[in-house]
Amino acid sequence: MSLTINTTINGKSVSGSAEASTSLLEFLRDTLEFKGTKLCCNTGECGACTIIYNGKPINSCVTMGADANGAQITTIEGLADGDKLHPVQQAFIDTGAVQCGYCTPGYIISVKALLDRTTKPTAEDIEEAVSGNICRCTGYTKIVDAIQLAADRMAGRV
Amino acid sequence: MDYFEPKTVSEALAMLEKHGAEAKVIAGGTDVMVDIKYKEEPGCLVNIKKLPGLSAIQENGGSLRIGPLVTIHEIETSALAREKLSVLWEACHQFASLQIRNTATIGGNICRASPSGETLAPLLVLEAKAKIAFSDGEKTEPFASFFQGPGKSSVGSKGLLTGIDVPYPAPSSRGVYLKHAVRGAMDIAMVGVAILVTPDAAKNSLQDVRIGLGAVAPTPMRATKTEAMLRGKSLNAALVKEAAAMAAAESSPISDQRSSAENRRWIVEALTRRGLQQSWQAATGKEVA
Repeated sequence: MSLTINTTINGKSVSGSAEASTSLLEFLRDTLEFKGTKLCCNTGECGACTIIYNGKPINSCVTMGADANGAQITTIEGLADGDKLHPVQQAFIDTGAVQCGYCTPGYIISVKALLDRTTKPTAEDIEEAVSGNICRCTGYTKIVDAIQLAADRMAGRV
Repeated sequence: MDYFEPKTVSEALAMLEKHGAEAKVIAGGTDVMVDIKYKEEPGCLVNIKKLPGLSAIQENGGSLRIGPLVTIHEIETSALAREKLSVLWEACHQFASLQIRNTATIGGNICRASPSGETLAPLLVLEAKAKIAFSDGEKTEPFASFFQGPGKSSVGSKGLLTGIDVPYPAPSSRGVYLKHAVRGAMDIAMVGVAILVTPDAAKNSLQDVRIGLGAVAPTPMRATKTEAMLRGKSLNAALVKEAAAMAAAESSPISDQRSSAENRRWIVEALTRRGLQQSWQAATGKEVA
């Protein structure tokens, strides 16, 4: 049974069709061609598919595509302003927080959502915000450094 | 697979009545979508996420009424829940990841009826009640008799959970929810223990004590024999040790990929011991001697 879905992605209205069994992740990647959001565990455990849904970070792999209907969605493609990267993206590059990069879009979306909530996150806020994201390349120190740098830059502290 | 988005509770109930066991109710989707991907598709999905009137947290006399569509994160950020129902709040705070807490609903956690469901042992010790609607009427049922086995509850295939009433425990009571898992975030509990202690007026003995155990039996359970043994007594180290061993003996865990049964019993013992010590100290200001 095919459903018609009208949604708003990165500020633009878009439509597409999906089956009831289609996840929001599959709808984004396969129907609408937003390939920045990554498929990994497909069970809501790794955070690679994180998007912002009506203002909140969620795992798109365990959300129904049908629930995109009428929703406001932000994906990684919506962060940069033309050629100018979002401060969170720039901070990940500047601190070397990216290795293979597969988990990075999910991390950056989780961090964007954190910095939308607070301009001065504590160390605990930072850990909490990305505890649903897994990076398998390396340790997490540089990712935490990147988040702190992005927060400081966005608040004009550095 | 058919798909329905009912507009009202009665419309949803009519659909469940018609499609029965082949229908699957979905709200947040964090469990059901995984089943669809890795197990099997149901005959039809009934999406209740947008049903009106089921998404509020409201104070109702001496209790909190929580709508089944309230997300775990909404409970985590509710000042009322944090102040009045700290045991439930702690379980919500430790629940999976922020992404999941933003999507998963308390109704889904309950109706999933998993022995390890994070909110279930807290709901048992808080002596909460479920409101369940059927096409021919509504009933209220304590969670004490709600869970019937893994995945099985009084909601069945034709009912709909429409409310969760959680009475406030006595103001002098204190409690904790302790969870043991390998990874801090995300992991399903190997064991979860919810404890609520109410001291007598002089803060010398246990007027009431409730011990809820998760992931160690076919359903979440209360360690009722242990509770009865403790009630009315003054807590000391020897009694805590005896109670912890008794709670472990009351549990009936299985071995699975997360833990052996034997290990689960040890953890029940350790968490019951810690939980009693912490709750007693919080409630009386005195360490267990």
